[in-house]
Amino acid sequence: MPEVWDDERLFAALREALHAREAVPAEFVDAGKSVFAWHNIDAELAQLTYDSIRDADYEPSLRAEAASIRALTFTSAHLTVELEVTGDTLLGQIIPAQGGVIRVQPRDGGETTVAADEIGCFSICPIPSGPFRLYCRTGGDLDALTGWITLDP
Amino acid sequence: MHNDSSVIALVARVSDGDQEAWNEIIERYSPLVWNICLRYQLDRQDIDDVGQSVWLLLVEHIGSLREAAALPGWLATTTRREALRVLRAGRRHEHADLPPEDQMPPYPDAATIEEEVVVAERNAALRAAFAELPPRCQELLSMLASDPPPVYVDVSQKLGIPVGGIGPTRARCLGRLRRSPHLAGVLGGGASDVEVSETGR
Repeated sequence: MPEVWDDERLFAALREALHAREAVPAEFVDAGKSVFAWHNIDAELAQLTYDSIRDADYEPSLRAEAASIRALTFTSAHLTVELEVTGDTLLGQIIPAQGGVIRVQPRDGGETTVAADEIGCFSICPIPSGPFRLYCRTGGDLDALTGWITLDP
Repeated sequence: MHNDSSVIALVARVSDGDQEAWNEIIERYSPLVWNICLRYQLDRQDIDDVGQSVWLLLVEHIGSLREAAALPGWLATTTRREALRVLRAGRRHEHADLPPEDQMPPYPDAATIEEEVVVAERNAALRAAFAELPPRCQELLSMLASDPPPVYVDVSQKLGIPVGGIGPTRARCLGRLRRSPHLAGVLGGGASDVEVSETGR
């Protein structure tokens, strides 16, 4: 191991290191940097656990219905967020049912806020055209942040 | 084994709420996360999904990382787990064009991931050392490192160095790079590195 790298080996390694960094898209890096906004915020990541497009085949009895309505479920350790596309509106419900504030965060910026009523229902209209995520703040200790959502119109 | 003091310092600064230190960690290690995702043959959307999960988990756990120096390994393990999660989710989606389960490309094994970690640490150290070189050295080396490699006449014109001076300047810049504290222990024995660069002058 204590063999010394000559100029050619060092240069080849440097070249590889520079290229490895250049191969990563700037948006991927920027998205990572922006995650720091979540520092010291008690939010858990809610992961996609059901997507009607993806999972419809597993529930044959619901297939006809599932094909016409896009439904998604995000689950964290403490909260479940159910979403359903109805026309140009995204309907959602926080489970267990409770009031709260939903921040709609498009990847391109321009956050908006909607309220969830006392049974956890909220609606988002219009549906963001690009990728977005939802930050759900309830009265509890932990908030939930969904993964990126893309709903093609 | 590695010179990890800079990683440890970065992690400590992030825990104190330093956005610049966080950016530095992302700059350093996004190639590691990215490359592991490529190993799992994820598409771009899934890679973004994995990236978001990994960085969120990091921001959540960075204060409780038992050993800051183990950050690259932690990132690799977490990326791997998240990649498997999106793959499992995707597999349930019945694609007509998806090959049967037994013909799917095999997952990368632990040794492959470990190798990615080693390469990522070395690359990060090299880039950190490179970033501290004088601007002229950075210009020359990055031009020489471009793909495809440039001809010396072009380099000479762009940087105003005579063609005959490119080789010696390159050697001098590489010598400085080699002596960078970032690379101590990364390129082989630290002490012998110094010895060679001394005799080489």
